[in-house]
Order: sequence, then C-alpha cells, then structure tokens
Amino acid sequence: MQSPDPGSFRDPASRIVLNEGRVLRVLDERGLEGWRALSASDFFASAVADRRLIDTSEVSEPPPTGAGALEHPRLPFISYPYEWTFSMLKDAALLQLDLLKDALAAGLTIKDATPYNIQFVYGRPMFIDIGSFEAYRVGEPWIGYRQFTRQFLFPLMLRAWLDVPFQPWLRGDMEGPTPIQMARLLGSKKRLNAGALLHVRLQARMEARMSGRPVRDDLRSAGFSVELILANVKRLRSLVTSLEWAGRKDGWSDYGSCTHVSRDRDAKSEFLQSAIQRSRPRRVLDLGANDGHFSMIAADSGAHVVAVDSDEAVLDDLYRRSAGMGVSIALTDLANPSPAQGWAGTERSSIVDRAQPDFVIAYGLIHHLIYQASIPPREVLNWLRGFGAPVVVEFVSPSDEMVARLVGNKLPHELHPDRDETAFRTLASELFEVVDESSLSSGTRVLFALLPR
Amino acid sequence: MIFGYLDPGSGSLLLQAVIGGATGLAVAVKALRHRYRFGRAMKAADPNNGEAAETVEDTALPAES
Repeated sequence: MQSPDPGSFRDPASRIVLNEGRVLRVLDERGLEGWRALSASDFFASAVADRRLIDTSEVSEPPPTGAGALEHPRLPFISYPYEWTFSMLKDAALLQLDLLKDALAAGLTIKDATPYNIQFVYGRPMFIDIGSFEAYRVGEPWIGYRQFTRQFLFPLMLRAWLDVPFQPWLRGDMEGPTPIQMARLLGSKKRLNAGALLHVRLQARMEARMSGRPVRDDLRSAGFSVELILANVKRLRSLVTSLEWAGRKDGWSDYGSCTHVSRDRDAKSEFLQSAIQRSRPRRVLDLGANDGHFSMIAADSGAHVVAVDSDEAVLDDLYRRSAGMGVSIALTDLANPSPAQGWAGTERSSIVDRAQPDFVIAYGLIHHLIYQASIPPREVLNWLRGFGAPVVVEFVSPSDEMVARLVGNKLPHELHPDRDETAFRTLASELFEVVDESSLSSGTRVLFALLPR
Repeated sequence: MIFGYLDPGSGSLLLQAVIGGATGLAVAVKALRHRYRFGRAMKAADPNNGEAAETVEDTALPAES
C-alpha cells in the first residue's frame, strides 16, 4: 500500500512516498535530471560516505506516477526545527552552508534552504532531501538565500543576540521571521554588526522596495556569477559560527546537583534496567529526560530513544554528548506538546504520533504536570496509558521537598484531588497492571513498573 | 526560464550581488540599470501610463543603502 508523505508536497519534482515500510522518493522528469547530475558527482559519494547526506539508491522499477524513484533508509525519528536546541539549529545551518559550497564546486546547487531537509541521526545532522539538488545554471543567484535567513539565521540571532527562544516562533510560523520582522525585533541592537546590517537591515529594505519584481534574468545578463554565491556563503558561515547562546542556567539545568537526584539516581537506574530486561524495547520515549542519564541507559540496551524535555539548556548539553548514540532529542513542553499542523493539519505530525514508543520512561515528571501545569492525576495516568506501552513512572508524594517548591503559594484546596499514594495506586491499577515497585530512600517517592491492561 | 517552487524574493536576490563586494555591486548596478532602461522603454511605448515613471524610480536602490 503506497501513501504519499503528508509533509512532502511543496516540490513538484520530488515527493516522498511510504510503501510498506519503505521510504521512496518519486521524481518527475526534472527531479530525475537533478538526481542524474547529483549521483554522477564525486561530491555525492563523499557526502554520503561521511554521513552528511542520506543513503540513496535508485529503484529499478519506478512507480507509474513518476519518471524515476529513489529509496532511502527509514529514520528512527523525525524531529522538527521547533523541537531543536540552539546548537542543533546551528549545526544544521553550518551543514546547509557547507553542502551548498561543496555542491557548487561540483557544478550543482541546492534549490532551497530549509531545516526540514535536515534530520539528526545518531546525534549528527544529515541532509535528507536529495531532491533539493540540481545542476547549477550559469548566472543564477542562490534561490534559497532568503529562506536560509528566515529559517536558520534569524532564529539563531534571536537566541544569540536577544536571548529569546526561537522555537515558539518557528512552531507558530514555520517559515520563520521575515527580514522586516527581524529588523524590527533587533531594533537598535547590533547597529555596527556587518551581518545584522547586510542580512537583516539591508535585506528588509530591499524586500520592501523590490517586492514581486522579477530580477533573475536581469542578474544573469548583468553577469552574476557563482563566485558571488560562494562569497555570501563564506560570510554567512563565519556569521553563524560567531553566534553563541550563553545557555543561562535556569530552570532544571542544575537538576543533577539536587540532593534527592543524586541520592536516588542509582536506585532508579537499577529499576529501569530491570524493566528494560523484561520488555526488551526497540523504541523508548523518555518523558522529562533532563540530562539524559536514563535515556543513555535505554540506548545502551540497544533501543532507540527519544529524549523529550522542555529545558533547552539541558537538552543542548545532551545533544553535545549524544554523537554516535541512538538518542534523538525533542524540545517540547509536555503540557503543550508539538501538535499536528501545517497544510491540512497533517503536514507536520504531533510528537506523540512520531514517537510510537514500545516503552515509556516517566521519571521525575508527573509531579511537574500535576503541581505546575495543574493537570489532574487521573488525566496524567490516562495520557500515559494512551501510549499503549509499558511505563516506568516515579510517583512523588505531596510531602516531597520538590513538591513543596512546585506548590509555592497554592493552597491545598486549589490543587486537584487524588494526589496521594493511595489514590495513585487506585488510579494506576484501573489502567495498568503493577509488575514491580520500589520505594526510594527519600521516603517520599515510589517507582512503579506498569503494564497496560 | 525554469520556475522553482520557492519564491526567492527579488530584494534578497539582488542583495546577493551587493554582498559580493565591488564585483557584486557592479553586477547589481548593471542589473538595475538594465531594468531602468527597460522601464523607460515601456513608458515610452505606452503614453497613457502616467505612473510608470514612479514605478521605475522605485526599482533603483536607495543611495543610502
């Protein structure tokens, strides 16, 4: 059964189709021409060999709808730029620029510049949209430049220069800030910075002046050359490299230093290892992954792990440590996780639909949902049951020191009922079978291994 | 002309020439001059189009940019 990927339709030359677990890319005549140019180049072989480009092979019998078809390996998890940390978007931006530079040297170009063409595989960015490559036509400017600034450069500037997270913007407007919007956001900041002047202020000004007037033919006849693109790419590379996020240590970034954490960590690790040995999962979802300690344990067992947290600083640190590991990172607030959105509401799927776990870790999580996000305990357990997979969960009693901090100024009658251990056991046993449990030394926390009924 | 699926933005395309130093600037000026001449020719051919002059002026880069 063949089904077009709902997120791959913008380029008529190349569309992804899923066919009984296989990932096929169906090409029209123009797409096939691009593939022929790419596959004949040394650039292609070397970029695939160093894992900057996805493995690709030609399918001998293309589907009747296309002129040709390619096959790619299926990736364990697809993440979106609004779920990436600063360092992930920065590494993706550098990959995009380096591939463009190398492609131009081989007589090719990349016709767009969107982070949706890049995925993180074993902790490293990989370009997956083979259909983006085509032969470079003499005199053509870089068509993806504006898109690069909106979807890579401006979001990075937001964090590095204004310390504003880019993810809410990219989740709300997947095209990214326009040059005019970015100029307004910068205000008088970075007045003397050449990158801000050229890519933000001058681009905004020229966009306002030139909107909708075709200039490609004019540029070609005026002698536009590939050297001009290469000069721009070089400038952009040094600008992107210079962007750094100080990564302020707020929220849970110092979680590992909390006393209850170091005290209970070994016991939680052992409990998790036993549960993993019983279930032997392939796809683990670590909800509230924090520094990734438990994600790494699950990955060591051979499973692929999606580590989810809402703290960008800890996930950014985990990303830097995850090269070569089967851990994918997704920054999202579990009280408001990435939804299905885009064209027809299906272009980008929800994080829950993408994860499809066969094992769920929910350590150090549910008290945040109950006390911070005010989600009723019954709702939290129903939601965990919805994954249809074994769950290890850490129950935290109302008398726990961390709960006291989370409750803050809320009065007891302002909180949801069913917060104590007895209520938790009752609710859990309605939905799950309790196969293991262990009280932690703190005396206020209990681990449960649950199997869905 | 082969159409891409992405709108590259006219200002952003011209900017790429401007960014490329002296050589690029010369390309940008030449491209705009070509457009300017083309616009004047259009205006001459259509005497009823009184607004053409303003439209053509707008395509030139502002000197202070």
